[in-house]
Amino acid sequence: MKNRYYFAILVAVVLFGHGAESHAQEKSRRPPALPGDDRTEIRSKNIPVRFEQVRTLAIDASGKFMFVGTPLGLFRSDDSGRSWQKVGVSTKQSNYDVIAITPDPRDAKLMYIGTREAGVLKSADGGLSWKEINTGIRGPDVRGLAIDPNSPSKLYAAVREKGAGIYRTNDGGAKWARVDGGPQGEIEVLTSVNIPTGMGGIFLYAGGSTGLQRSPDCF
Amino acid sequence: MGSLSTHGTVKGFAVDPENPKTMYAATRDGLFKSADAGESWKPLGKDVKNSAAVTVSPRKPHDIYVANVEGKIFTSADGGLKWKAQK
Repeated sequence: MKNRYYFAILVAVVLFGHGAESHAQEKSRRPPALPGDDRTEIRSKNIPVRFEQVRTLAIDASGKFMFVGTPLGLFRSDDSGRSWQKVGVSTKQSNYDVIAITPDPRDAKLMYIGTREAGVLKSADGGLSWKEINTGIRGPDVRGLAIDPNSPSKLYAAVREKGAGIYRTNDGGAKWARVDGGPQGEIEVLTSVNIPTGMGGIFLYAGGSTGLQRSPDCF
Repeated sequence: MGSLSTHGTVKGFAVDPENPKTMYAATRDGLFKSADAGESWKPLGKDVKNSAAVTVSPRKPHDIYVANVEGKIFTSADGGLKWKAQK
């Protein structure tokens, strides 16, 4: 009788124990936190803003406004990055992944951005309104955008995947044409630099997974 | 531009508008500066790890701003010698 009683307890312990264990296993299989929980919080006039990741940083020609490009869109700061306000770029979609920000070096109202979803966009009013300028560009995924410091209506865009290649415009983005012989590989940043060498002129610098490449601007 | 490739992907790049041979490159290993248009590079600001982007003030080219991947901003007012985290 007594033995049967102990046996019942043993069975109960084993069953209960097993149940608790499988419950624990189930719990451990669940992801520890929702994706995005580790995003850094950044103050925006006391309203928290979350950046998933920083893609690029730029300052307009006046030196007044700083811009940051993120997978959650474009943000602007008037206090050197202490606080940020979201800049609406599109009415079609709430966020574009902003990879490149290229302010005109002379005109503080004029700037260009490169996005993964909508190619190149241009603003002529300091970022209040934006227009897609992709005539001639054969893919949406822009990874680098360079502006010629000497003639700022001349820009280069690096496109990845569909329509991959380097595109050039000579008229501030009204039309683009693909060019050969430029930097190769997976480009992360593209910049036009005026190097005062003996030859003089503009060089295109491309940064990416293989370091930095320099090409003369005559391809 | 060889020496930079050993530091992984170049994520950010900026040029001093007044002296374009002075340039900055942001990599996972931190920030690098060149004074000879990219022929040679030296590391800057050991505090700024995992840098994702860099920019130079167009009005004050000694003012350098770097963002790390998470969005923390670091500033230097002397071309990258001394750094502080933006509060």
